[in-house]
Amino acid sequence: MFTTLIVVGSFVIPAIFFSGETVTKIGVVEPAPVGLAAAIESTAERFDRTVVITPYPDDAAAKAALEDGSVDVVVALRPDLLSAGDVLFQKETDPATAQVIAAATVAMRVQAILGASGVDQATLAAAQQPPVIAAVEPQTEDDQARFLVANIGAVLILVGIFSFGFTVLTGVVEEKQNRVVEVVLATVRARDLLMGKVLGIGVLGLVQLAVFVTAALVAALATDRIALPTTTPGAILLLAVWFVLGYLLYSTALGFMGALASRMEEASNASTPITMVAMLSYFIAIFAVINEPDGTVATIATFIPPSAPFVVPLRAAFDAIPPWQIGLSLVITVAAIWVLFSIGARVYAGAVLQIGGRIKLRDAWRSAGE
Amino acid sequence: MLEIIDLAKRYGPVVALDGATFTASPGRVVGFLGPNGAGKTTTMRCIFGLARPDRGEVHWKGAVVDREARLRFGYMPEQRGLYPRMRVAEQLSYFAQQHGMAGRVANAAAATWLERMGLADRAKSKLEELSHGNQQRIQLATALVHDPELLVLDEPFSGLDPIGIATMTEVVRERAEAGVGVVFSSHQLDLVEDVCEDVVIIARGRVVASGAIEGLKNASGRQHLEVEVADSGGAWVDGVPDVIVLEHAGDRVKLLVDRSVDLDDLLARARAAGEVRTFAYQPPKLSELFMEAVAPAAADREVA
Repeated sequence: MFTTLIVVGSFVIPAIFFSGETVTKIGVVEPAPVGLAAAIESTAERFDRTVVITPYPDDAAAKAALEDGSVDVVVALRPDLLSAGDVLFQKETDPATAQVIAAATVAMRVQAILGASGVDQATLAAAQQPPVIAAVEPQTEDDQARFLVANIGAVLILVGIFSFGFTVLTGVVEEKQNRVVEVVLATVRARDLLMGKVLGIGVLGLVQLAVFVTAALVAALATDRIALPTTTPGAILLLAVWFVLGYLLYSTALGFMGALASRMEEASNASTPITMVAMLSYFIAIFAVINEPDGTVATIATFIPPSAPFVVPLRAAFDAIPPWQIGLSLVITVAAIWVLFSIGARVYAGAVLQIGGRIKLRDAWRSAGE
Repeated sequence: MLEIIDLAKRYGPVVALDGATFTASPGRVVGFLGPNGAGKTTTMRCIFGLARPDRGEVHWKGAVVDREARLRFGYMPEQRGLYPRMRVAEQLSYFAQQHGMAGRVANAAAATWLERMGLADRAKSKLEELSHGNQQRIQLATALVHDPELLVLDEPFSGLDPIGIATMTEVVRERAEAGVGVVFSSHQLDLVEDVCEDVVIIARGRVVASGAIEGLKNASGRQHLEVEVADSGGAWVDGVPDVIVLEHAGDRVKLLVDRSVDLDDLLARARAAGEVRTFAYQPPKLSELFMEAVAPAAADREVA
């Protein structure tokens, strides 16, 4: 349940500390042209930015304010508008802020200079009308939310594999190390024991995941961090399905790797290849797939069982996977789980009663032979 | 009746079982004896399907043993093992349920057996909190809790104190009287002689002797004689054919005599050496039967 707290906290805490939009604080050196502050404010508004303008009596005062961080930038422009003026940052220049200020001051100077030469004010205003700025495919909050859900999904699957899959591994090794497995196997088939372990811990894991996701969603909604994307119920269902498949695949592999070890210390060695594959799949998902959800890497990874549980929900969250690919990937992954389980059960049966050192895969396979 | 029929099993180059055959009847206690590595544990594992024999079968009540039949068996493996952090009563109940008992019945059976083992007050303790001997008692209770028809115990006496041995012996006898077939392996042959009616002796994967202890003793190819001849120093026995001196203490010698030897002739030789104070026939001890049964096989092997 500690993890649930972390998930909830990751939404609530930033909401407390970073609420509201960012504000650019601008210092203006007096004397300044009449209407400079208003011009900067209205230009900033056009660019969707908020500015707070503070006047300072002279250069020195403004620079002091810049130095102690009271303002982000200082603007010095002579009231006669004959020179271009100065825009001063403390360390790094911020091009976006500079653009806003430049646009406002240049417009004021153009108006002042050309106005004095008798150009019609209306013509001048029309000439200064900026172009309409828009995106053909605007990124909406929905997209951001999807991105977030997809990311959280990939992390949850990874966490699920590692925590619950390793519970399976630990359980197998413990039973073996305690030798209780001989008593248990006198009545229960090795196959059933492995399956029971995987399924039992899986149900527990799924319940925890459900608590998790619910808590995260409630926290997200309550703090207004994200607007839930319209596809959420479907995304969550898909996430749950792939969580189950990913868990089954990896925990079965971990279960029989555990049977090959005799002691806990050996178990972590035995499980290293599985861990590597899981990590690799996760990185493919969050780097390659998020970068290009319908690219070649993403498509290939969709049909490879170890990476499919990470990749498919992620691509689905971006609406970048055709249904037939989801279907085919499901079939391939389920088949892989079945094959792995059949192999795993036999290796498990062969290895689980052998004590002492790491058991070779081949020996385990043979000793359980027909 | 449990029938072990021609079991053979190899582990790589190691021959664990090489055509072992014997039977165990309900209501009788069978001591399953053999040197280390003779195949006792492998045989038991074959009974429970934990090892798959290369050849041969295990029958119970005339049919090949299946999972259904094994639910009515009780097993105490040589490698003891239970769940260390599980509470004792829960643990017994869990294993009873694994053998098909309903929850409430299983709980009652667990309580009964804890009482029987004198551990009723530890019902709520975790297994790892118990002493080694008490854990051993719980292990035995695990094999008994579902009221099995056949009890297979691998080295049940090892690591037990005399009180533990007494409890174990009592329980084994009592179960046999209730009609349960009991097979147990042990190296403590005196104990086996006290507890068992029948023995099966296995060496290098083959049964080299089996049957009622009394019968084996009577059928033993050799007899034990203890002879004391006054002031002889025991030297008179040297050079007598087919007689093996087992022990030589002053005037007293313990002899292993082949059946072919004429005892009258032997007595005459003793008399010739001096006054015969003792000339006593002794039935062989189980340990002697054991050595006798195991040793020739070793000789055969060396020749081969």
